[in-house]
Amino acid sequence: MEPFIGYVMTKQEQVKAIFIEEAGEIIEKLDIDIIRFEENCSDFSLLNEIFRGVHTLKGNANAFGFTRLGEFVHHFEDVLDHYRSTQESIEEYNLELFVGSVDVIKEVMICELDAIDTLPQSYHACLEKIKNLISIKKGLSDSVVEQNESVSELKDLAMEFGVSCEEQQQNSIERSIKEAQAKQSEGLSVYKIDLTLDSDCYKRGFDYLLFLNLLAQKALLLESFFNMEGVVEIDSFKNDENYIGKVSVVVLIPLLRSEVDEFFEFLFDNEYEINLIAPPAAEIMEVADKPLANTAKVADSSSINSMSSKSTIRIDTFKLDELFDSVGELVIAQNFIAQNEKIRSIEDESISRTIETLSKITKKIQDRVMSLRMVAIKDTFDKMRRVVRDTSKKTGKELNLIVQGEDTEIDKTMIDSLSDPLIHIIRNAIDHGLESNADERKSAGKNIEGTITLKAFHKSGSIVISVSDDGRGINKEKVLAKAIDRGIVSGDENLSDSQIFALVMQPGFSTTESISDLSGRGVGLDVVRTSIEKLRGKIEIDSKEGEGTTISMILPLTLAIIDGMLVRTADEIYIIPTLSIVESFRPEKEIVNVFKEKGEFVSLRGQYIPIMRLSDVFNLNTKRIEPWEGILVCVETEGGRIAILVDELVSRQQVVIKTLGKTLAMLKEISGGAILGNGDIALILNVDELRPLVKTAHV
Amino acid sequence: MEFNGDILTIDIGMSMEEVEEFQEFIRPRIDYIETIEADEDDALRCSALLALLVSLKRTKPELNIPFLEKKKLVSQKYGTIHWICHD
Repeated sequence: MEPFIGYVMTKQEQVKAIFIEEAGEIIEKLDIDIIRFEENCSDFSLLNEIFRGVHTLKGNANAFGFTRLGEFVHHFEDVLDHYRSTQESIEEYNLELFVGSVDVIKEVMICELDAIDTLPQSYHACLEKIKNLISIKKGLSDSVVEQNESVSELKDLAMEFGVSCEEQQQNSIERSIKEAQAKQSEGLSVYKIDLTLDSDCYKRGFDYLLFLNLLAQKALLLESFFNMEGVVEIDSFKNDENYIGKVSVVVLIPLLRSEVDEFFEFLFDNEYEINLIAPPAAEIMEVADKPLANTAKVADSSSINSMSSKSTIRIDTFKLDELFDSVGELVIAQNFIAQNEKIRSIEDESISRTIETLSKITKKIQDRVMSLRMVAIKDTFDKMRRVVRDTSKKTGKELNLIVQGEDTEIDKTMIDSLSDPLIHIIRNAIDHGLESNADERKSAGKNIEGTITLKAFHKSGSIVISVSDDGRGINKEKVLAKAIDRGIVSGDENLSDSQIFALVMQPGFSTTESISDLSGRGVGLDVVRTSIEKLRGKIEIDSKEGEGTTISMILPLTLAIIDGMLVRTADEIYIIPTLSIVESFRPEKEIVNVFKEKGEFVSLRGQYIPIMRLSDVFNLNTKRIEPWEGILVCVETEGGRIAILVDELVSRQQVVIKTLGKTLAMLKEISGGAILGNGDIALILNVDELRPLVKTAHV
Repeated sequence: MEFNGDILTIDIGMSMEEVEEFQEFIRPRIDYIETIEADEDDALRCSALLALLVSLKRTKPELNIPFLEKKKLVSQKYGTIHWICHD
């Protein structure tokens, strides 16, 4: 529940709000973990994780008087505790009970938050099953514990084998650390320093050896490990470029952390990381009664004990947005300085260098602030495992889910809007994409199990999230016939394959004969497309009949920055989102045609594309040029392609999107504004809203 | 830098400019140089030389560079340097 503006929450309410947020996170994680556990029910560390989540939830629920939730999770915790302590293999029907229990927890949580008296129907039945299970399992634990002791011994042995090349490198560093620790005495500290100098470090006057030399003057022991993996072959080798990606240094030195830090004060923060290595385990035992012992808790001598352990804090996203806005202003100011003619005309090397440094630092700040908004798509993908599982059970189709690129990062504000489209596409792929049954797959020469591949990756400055199935594929002819039948297209158009496939996303379009409760109502893909377009993305469908279909959502990296083409018309600069641009060209006079009462068209590869004059749309007072005197920027819009006539292409750049005031926001043809490097304001075109103006502009 | 038959001897204490000269010298001659010997009387002065030697070895794997094969360099000035090439 969001507090309304001006209302100040009491301390208790604030704590409760934090509980609600945390409980939501725990439940969300439970939902993901329980499916992962179902896939691999021998993963008892995961079961432990689930148990810890349920345990925390129980404590918090009872503390805030959510007794119904508290009671349920209390019994669920007992069951989990039994399995995690005995490591007894879990029966399939009980796994189903676990998954169902998480569903009940989700529903009860909603009841508690909204103070609904009626509990979900499944609550009592599920609780009863859990209680029965506990009573059956009681008394069977002891003998199993003994068996599992030998299992854990075997696991320890397995860990000693299978050392990879990279691990060998790590082992060398660890060996070096142990040697340094062995020579450590009072006043001496062991540090592991990772240096990752930028490729232009030589130009800035830095070299790894410089820092090694500085350290060596004070160190008692110094060992460094140069990672040469990034060195290129001689044809691509540039002498003034640094190809040594990372140098790890182990040093035994009588200096404090702050003193070591001083050696690197001229480097960027991302170019070095200093870790103080804790003294060896034996030494910790000796000083066990000293306060230091509390911090040096880790006694496992094989691991590197970094004092700079990661910690997290919660930040209001509103504050992040404010920070991002400020950085946007900083970038604009920096661009202004860098592009200012007067400053550029000063021929002074120190000024040029300072501007260059400023530009570099600004870019770094911008990247870092941007990274604060980025989160891995993993959590969203994990949620989809549940969707796949449930849809698979409901449709009775056996299938494999392959997940790739789950570490791909995406703007936090986009994540929430992605779940629903993704769920729909996945359900659609399973319900309609895959063949109806195993026999149909067999006769098509495929494995009985269908495959759904969920993939995320970067492509040309965008993020692509795709869902592929190895099912029937889309029947182009059937789609086209249906579209003609529904009046979506006339049939005269010369449509490409992708344009035909895109027809399935038109409102009310459905090629399925039967409607299931999962999909097939003809509203889904249209809604999916709209949702993705709201995120300034687009959907592409690729399909081969008999082989399968891939639906790709192409999204911008962030909602705050847009990659745009700057165009000029009548001394005004406009920005066209690059994602919409298909091509740009100066047309020959012969391919430009004027049709009475319909306006100007350009004939491109057998297709007539309407020409849109920006000067007409915005009533700009300018000399009317002929299309062949300007540039046509061909863009893809909801209603098909249009060619925007501009005087010239200025440049392509990333711009920070600024919202417009109320008056300008009413102009549908404009989606926002951006401040350019020279301080000018440019409007960002909403190309989908340009199309309807074509007719009126030329009537 | 000395060139004797198919053996090239270099000084590891090259400055950045000398490394650049070395690179320009060897780039067109890499095909017929079989061995690069390193004179270790001076200390290594820039890591670009190390990178260049790795680059040469990567370009022509049969090139014999004993200095590189040692995989480490011990010096008063820098302590012990190891290089990991992943080849």
